[in-house]
Amino acid sequence: MSRISFQEKMLWAQLVGIVVVVAFYGHFLVHSGPGHHYFHALVLVLLFLFASVRTFFRRRSGSVVEDERDRSIAAIGSRWSNIILWLGLVAILILYWDHGSMRSANFLIGMLFHLLVLAGSVRIIRELVAYRMAA
Amino acid sequence: MSSCLRNTIRELRAVRSMTQQELADLISVTRQTVIAIERDKYSPSLEVAFRIAFVFGVPLEQVFQYEAPSSRAK
Repeated sequence: MSRISFQEKMLWAQLVGIVVVVAFYGHFLVHSGPGHHYFHALVLVLLFLFASVRTFFRRRSGSVVEDERDRSIAAIGSRWSNIILWLGLVAILILYWDHGSMRSANFLIGMLFHLLVLAGSVRIIRELVAYRMAA
Repeated sequence: MSSCLRNTIRELRAVRSMTQQELADLISVTRQTVIAIERDKYSPSLEVAFRIAFVFGVPLEQVFQYEAPSSRAK
């Protein structure tokens, strides 16, 4: 029997997914020209696939897969993620206020995308730390 | 997640030859949460604490004991 809960396994899978996506993104930025909208679509498709797989395994699992400890750890992760999101949004607004124009819409979308990835990564890492500390 | 709560769940389980998974199923939590509670790494909610006491058929204070930080330092 595993010492790692279903939620923690899913967090490790998400972390691996984010590392792969960030590595691929870095490679993509180096080897492609300007404009990378298809990459954002690819990430959205991957997120949808991950959510589907997660739902499938969750339904297949007969015993309890989430309890009060998981929810409290998820709340900690969400709190950290929200702080990053709010700080990022303020930073983006300041940047957009200074340099904003209709031409910089791509810049804005790119910044929002990076902010979401960063907030998601922080949430996952914070939750994994909480799980490991309480293991 | 250091806790001031000490518990006797492991001993109570051993007396009844109950596995962590069996206890987890009875109180509707994951086995990992039972492990964390047993090791004093996680303080359960009042409801889960009462469920554990109910499963073992003992008063709550027999399962959980509060240890004030000052008395632990001695």
